[in-house]
Amino acid sequence: MNAPDRYERFVVPEGMKKVSYERDQKIMNAATFTVQREDHTIGNVIRMQLHRDPSVLFAGYRLPHPLQYKLVIKIQTTSQSSPMQAYNLAVNDLDKELDHLKQVFQEEINQKQSEYY
Amino acid sequence: MLFVMDATISGPHFAIPLHLAPFKQLLCFSGEQNFIRFPTVRIRELKDDYIKFELRDTDTSIANALRRIMIAEVPTLAIDLVEMESNSSVLNDEFIAHRLGLIPLKSERAMEMRLSRDCDACDGDGSCEYCSIEFNLNVKCNSDQTLDVTSHDLVSSDPSVVPVDNSFAQDISGFDAPEARGVLIVKLRRGQELKLRAIARKGIGKDHAKWSPAATVAFQFEPEIHINEALMETLTLEEKKEWVDSCPTKVFEVDPQTQQVVVVDAEAYTYDEEILKKADAMGKPGLVEIISREDSFIFTVESTGAIQASQMFINAIDILKTKLDAVRLSFDTEEADDQFGELGHHMRGGGIDLVSRVIQ
Repeated sequence: MNAPDRYERFVVPEGMKKVSYERDQKIMNAATFTVQREDHTIGNVIRMQLHRDPSVLFAGYRLPHPLQYKLVIKIQTTSQSSPMQAYNLAVNDLDKELDHLKQVFQEEINQKQSEYY
Repeated sequence: MLFVMDATISGPHFAIPLHLAPFKQLLCFSGEQNFIRFPTVRIRELKDDYIKFELRDTDTSIANALRRIMIAEVPTLAIDLVEMESNSSVLNDEFIAHRLGLIPLKSERAMEMRLSRDCDACDGDGSCEYCSIEFNLNVKCNSDQTLDVTSHDLVSSDPSVVPVDNSFAQDISGFDAPEARGVLIVKLRRGQELKLRAIARKGIGKDHAKWSPAATVAFQFEPEIHINEALMETLTLEEKKEWVDSCPTKVFEVDPQTQQVVVVDAEAYTYDEEILKKADAMGKPGLVEIISREDSFIFTVESTGAIQASQMFINAIDILKTKLDAVRLSFDTEEADDQFGELGHHMRGGGIDLVSRVIQ
């Protein structure tokens, strides 16, 4: 009866920011990114990509509550980098990886289909 | 490993193969570095509604994200709104509406279509060419024979969006295959009638499972099985057979000629570890070593027929890319952080000159 609407899970409400960024008050080069209406799909991918970056000292994500449709990513980096820089790099690298994956998959499909006909 | 390198070494797209990773600092200068992987794909089996392929040189997180997206976020079309004109069948209106919703519809168009929520061409009730497709159903039973109302009775306003046709099932099991008759909606007795108008809309599986194009999407880690041949030779033929039979799936076999244990199907291994327990129980620990490769996956994708299985994977990649694009920091967020730049600089221990400049 008082369940939230199903679309609440993936539609960002008007006036709400998709990504918000907050510096850590106590730790140097640490920040929290809050991503609205996202889940493990994106969270885990970004976290694992951040772990590949040696300038990242810590990267973790959590879903605070099943009914709060948001994702919290925490990043701490060395002084050579910054959380925002690391985050942007991770997203860009993933984007390029997926570009490549799409291309090789498409090539494989085309090759396989030409074998059939 | 696939290795792509730009001709100009100063370019930002500069990749390093994994085995050279320790020399990264030498290869990359001016702090310009990135950590891109270049996955490879090999397709084993390809059908319209089924694909099996190997995905290599990437991470579990990518494999799992694509799996999750195929199940819950690749859009399809499904009946979402039903207006009943007359229904004298034994099933009530909402029961029939629910059944109509679950019928898979051919959804090649879904990626280009708009969600009725975001459609500005129609006034929110969602009935325009950009966001909806109309179906009509008008069936009356006039005989003593029970009449089956199936998905074939649905008349679409768009010839490219029709209920998934499984009539090819005829060829497999004779012409009376149940799938060939379409998806059963309701059965009518003499005099009963069903007349309705239905609107199909675009949606995703996260909203309701009727929009999920996936029947099954699964990936498994590729197992690497190494038999310790020296230790294996200490077993008698009987013991070998006993050991091979202890595996619940047929992974190993005793070669009838050489009487050696060989791996016949490594992928049949379900990581149940029964075979390892058996080896321990026989007093031969380390008889076999099984490693799961963390960077290669065997994907099995089965579609409901709404979208081709291969297209499902391509759409999933596109959706993951748009999702990544959406989680990029907006420009004003970065700018706002730049205003903290001085403080940030200070926090990193280089703020003295800035402070002194402010004082001057």
